Amino acid sequence: MSTSSPSGRDVLRESIRGQRRDVAVGALLGSGHQIGEALVPVLIGVAIDQAVTDSDTGALLICLGVLAVGYVALALSFRFGAMAGERAAARAEHTLRISLVRRVLDPGGGAEDGRLPGVLANIATEDAKRVGAVNMAVMSGISALTGILTCAVVLLRMSPTLGLVVLLGTPVLLWLGHLLSKPLESRSEAEQERAAHASAIAADLVSGLRILKGIGGESAAIARYRTTSRDSLGATLKAARAQAFQSGVVLALTGCLIAVVALVGGRLAAGGSISLGELVSAVGLALFLVGPLETLSWVNAELAQGRASAGRVAEVIATPPAIAAGGRGLPQPVRGAVRLTGVRHGGLRGVDLDIAPGELLGVVATDPAHANDLMRCLARHTDPDAGTLELDGIALRDFDPAELRTAMLVAAHDADLFEGTVRENVAAAAPDGGDPEQAMAAAGVTQVAQTLADGEHTPVGERGHSLSGGQRQRVALARALAAERPVLVVHDPTTAVDAVTEARIAAGLREIRKGRTTVLVTTSPALLAVTDRVALLDEGRVTDTAPHANLIQRHEAYRTAVLS
Amino acid sequence: MNEPSAEQQTDTRELLPTATAPRTRAAVRELVRPHRGLAVGGFAVMIAATGVGLLVQPILGRIVDLVAEQRQPGDLTLPVVLLVLVALVHGGTTSLGLSLVSRLGETVLAQLRERFVEKALRMPLEQVEKAGAGDLTARVTRDVSVVGEAVRSALPELARSLLTIVLTLAAMAALDWRFLVAALLAVPVQASTARWYVRHAVPLYAQQRIATGAQQQQLLDTIAGAGTVRGFRIEEEHTERVTRRSSTAVTLKMRGIRLVLDFYNRLHVAEYTGLAAVLVAGFLLVRADSVSIGTATAAALYFHSLFGPVNNALVLLDDAQSATASLARLVGVADEKTPEPAAVQEAPAAAGPAPDGTVTVIGIDHAYLPGRPVLHDVDLTLRPGERVALVGPSGAGKTTLAKLIAGVHRPTSGSVHLSGSPTRGNGLPVALVTQETHVFAGSLADDLRLARPDATDDELRTALTEVEALDWVEALPDGLDTVVGDGGHRLTSARVQQLALARLILADPPVAVLDEATAEAGSTGARLLEKAAGRAIEGRTALVVAHRLTQAATADRIVVMEGGRIVESGTHDELREGSGPYAALWKAWSGTRSASDEPAAHRAGADTPTVKDAD
Repeated sequence: MSTSSPSGRDVLRESIRGQRRDVAVGALLGSGHQIGEALVPVLIGVAIDQAVTDSDTGALLICLGVLAVGYVALALSFRFGAMAGERAAARAEHTLRISLVRRVLDPGGGAEDGRLPGVLANIATEDAKRVGAVNMAVMSGISALTGILTCAVVLLRMSPTLGLVVLLGTPVLLWLGHLLSKPLESRSEAEQERAAHASAIAADLVSGLRILKGIGGESAAIARYRTTSRDSLGATLKAARAQAFQSGVVLALTGCLIAVVALVGGRLAAGGSISLGELVSAVGLALFLVGPLETLSWVNAELAQGRASAGRVAEVIATPPAIAAGGRGLPQPVRGAVRLTGVRHGGLRGVDLDIAPGELLGVVATDPAHANDLMRCLARHTDPDAGTLELDGIALRDFDPAELRTAMLVAAHDADLFEGTVRENVAAAAPDGGDPEQAMAAAGVTQVAQTLADGEHTPVGERGHSLSGGQRQRVALARALAAERPVLVVHDPTTAVDAVTEARIAAGLREIRKGRTTVLVTTSPALLAVTDRVALLDEGRVTDTAPHANLIQRHEAYRTAVLS
Repeated sequence: MNEPSAEQQTDTRELLPTATAPRTRAAVRELVRPHRGLAVGGFAVMIAATGVGLLVQPILGRIVDLVAEQRQPGDLTLPVVLLVLVALVHGGTTSLGLSLVSRLGETVLAQLRERFVEKALRMPLEQVEKAGAGDLTARVTRDVSVVGEAVRSALPELARSLLTIVLTLAAMAALDWRFLVAALLAVPVQASTARWYVRHAVPLYAQQRIATGAQQQQLLDTIAGAGTVRGFRIEEEHTERVTRRSSTAVTLKMRGIRLVLDFYNRLHVAEYTGLAAVLVAGFLLVRADSVSIGTATAAALYFHSLFGPVNNALVLLDDAQSATASLARLVGVADEKTPEPAAVQEAPAAAGPAPDGTVTVIGIDHAYLPGRPVLHDVDLTLRPGERVALVGPSGAGKTTLAKLIAGVHRPTSGSVHLSGSPTRGNGLPVALVTQETHVFAGSLADDLRLARPDATDDELRTALTEVEALDWVEALPDGLDTVVGDGGHRLTSARVQQLALARLILADPPVAVLDEATAEAGSTGARLLEKAAGRAIEGRTALVVAHRLTQAATADRIVVMEGGRIVESGTHDELREGSGPYAALWKAWSGTRSASDEPAAHRAGADTPTVKDAD
């Protein structure tokens, strides 16, 4: 996927091209299998003709021998053909999944904006699978066509009339079946969705079980679930009836086709134009033909779904980056002077701020939305609408964003933990040979670890959810500290931490970051008390910068934000 | 939805009950019994339908015979008309039979899931937590859907295939018993193949499910945390993680496919064996003049038409097996006795006429695991209408005490008494609101009505006004009718907690326990929520576990816990004036010291008795 903005068609083509060898092998062997399957009814007919009718033992043995060879051949080609096709599908899916993840994690960002994580994960699994499955569909489609072709050749050679009846009758049969069941299908799809609703609601109630019990809502929930379940049952029954009707129609139509083949074939056989065995073969072939034709309509549906999925995949891959990315490397060494000049973004109306190297600066925003806007700009999630941000006198937008992040870490309030142990999470971005112990002690993680079953080697569960909110925050903070970046910006790192621990963390943070630029975006007095200076961000501007105690005396807005 | 993966569950957990095979069968029988008529009718129609379908081959055989006997072409008309009739009747009866069988299966399934949900919701939280919440979630999502899928597609198909097989074999025997013997030659191969397949497939599919789950989880982890991943420059590591999980899933998938393909290969052997045997039998019987060529043809066609149903049935066996396992897990829960809601111990009548809403905790010790006590000898009385804040470092046992009072757990020793029996609201004696956030899927009004089903819209609005949520609720696209929760309108965690507090008001219990109910919102959001929480517990006896001291400061009384014991108790002013841990805490919190007065932070730590026995 080297093109910068591929279309769905590119994605689809690329995914098949990447697996062309397996697809070709699969199509070849699959065709062999179809030819074999088509010849089984023919051989039954020949056996009846040559051996059973004339009681010819030799012919019977030959027939059985040919049948055996045919079976071995068709079985093996099916085995290896399908294997090649499935392998192609699985590999294409995997490749696509990895390119999607690479795009999402690209330093320029942008791919996840406006898309829920669940939706993106779904694209990387379900859509990738559907695009991959196109490989299998292409292979099956080619094989089915070969099967139909074989059937046509055999039947037309036997008798053009009978051949035409079968070759035209079967598609008409499928088409009629499709036509009759189409309105039912679309209706039943909607109904099945409603049917699935009951399961979803049950899962929802169970995942909120503690909350439900907390307010004594069990009886209400049970009563409501019964209604939902009955509703779903009604919908399901309608869908099931529709499906049953469809099955019945297909059966009746297939039966009628056999009757027509029997009528035409019987008359031809009675007239001597075809043999008895050929009549038997024709009936068998008519039944066989339903298979590859159904495969073709399945292939059609798969291709349509594959195209739609490829479109969604392409859309993600082609998302433009959220920020302008320069190519500059970092100054050596990074001093850690950060300067904001006239920054406008969201609620920010021209923020000017000068952060000295090695300073511990607090930022108090009277409106939490403004704190978020500031964080987004500093983290390079977005470019400001106007104004510049600089590190050591160089505009942030001139840096390669990945490079910049090795110098400047901006840790969001809701930073995620990842699966792994407490220690693994803390050490995730620690420099090689770095010691996470200090960071763990400073952020109060050592204390957390004491209460956990396996100490710092306790797994945190998916996204850290086996820890409490306060524990998660401390581990996230320790991770930010352990990364030892020259510049660190943290946002509300201790909102879910108790006051005793918060005071200890404040002291530990100051100690461990000594001599390196640190910005604390917070309204917590315990944290602000340890800063060198605090900038008050009010009405989208920095209105004052002074030590915490001074700002408390000077500004009503500051007191409200910090102490109420 | 976050579904904790099964692999995380350690074997030390007491999983929820699973029914034994005989009990599962008995439960299914019980569920089916009221629908006996439907069951008998459905299967009778299916048998009839299959039987009619089997007339096709002999009629085709008859046509072959007519041709072999060189009869008039006109004589073919009757059998052909019969074929058409058979086709129509076959289609009609199959359609009727399938719909009856589905009706039976779906109705029984609906009853089962309703009973399951009822029992699951009534199950004591203690038991659910011991098993890990993942166990119940997995049962309600995976097991219900596996059984549902089986009932929806596998059951009718399996019934049809099995009937077709049995009746086809019977029909072959009716043509001539020797055809049946020939056809049965394929059975040993098929039986051993099926056994072989199930033996290998079941563990493999279990592995596959785990691998797919792990892959999905990793993707969600990485994608949801993309900002964090970029910020910490750990993109490579995460790409590597996803690649590893995805490769494992691919490898297992290919192993599964190889298994299925080998399975079909073995079935091909069975097909060949049977077909050759039937042809040889036909050959011998025709030569001996025991049967006509038409009959031999019918037998061969019968056998050829068995391929589909046999393959179907064998593949579906696998589905049936996993559905049975899921069913056992559902029945296990559905069979549970509904416990008395005695988790909260009502005061004995002899306790005297204590006013409504008094909570008395006497000499509580508690340990989740034997030998690891969390609470030591805690005594506490909450007077009616009193607002008590519980403060202390993490691990001090605050949450445990809150849960004991809320009746989630029973204390290891000691007791919790509640006076009076609640006569207002929904009859709940103690409400518990924690920092856990969840909105129930459905309309916002429905969500609130879980707390009080008969609440009018006005009552809902009043409750929302109390927690200052009415403004944003009215501003939602459909106001109170806006669909929220999974797949609906997304709400911030602060708003979700406002709804939780509104539910508390609607439930209207005499006693409320709030366990850091406001912690999930950022600092500014927390202030708003604290106000809402204050309003929600007005007029109730309340225990508030607070991490922000401002919330504690407004309480009638503050109880400080450390190491599983209550170490201090008094009003905000009393404690602040004192020299205990609370005074130190308050100093650190209120910022009344200057930046240079740093040791204060250390003092707060030094004064705190060690927390080493906190767990």
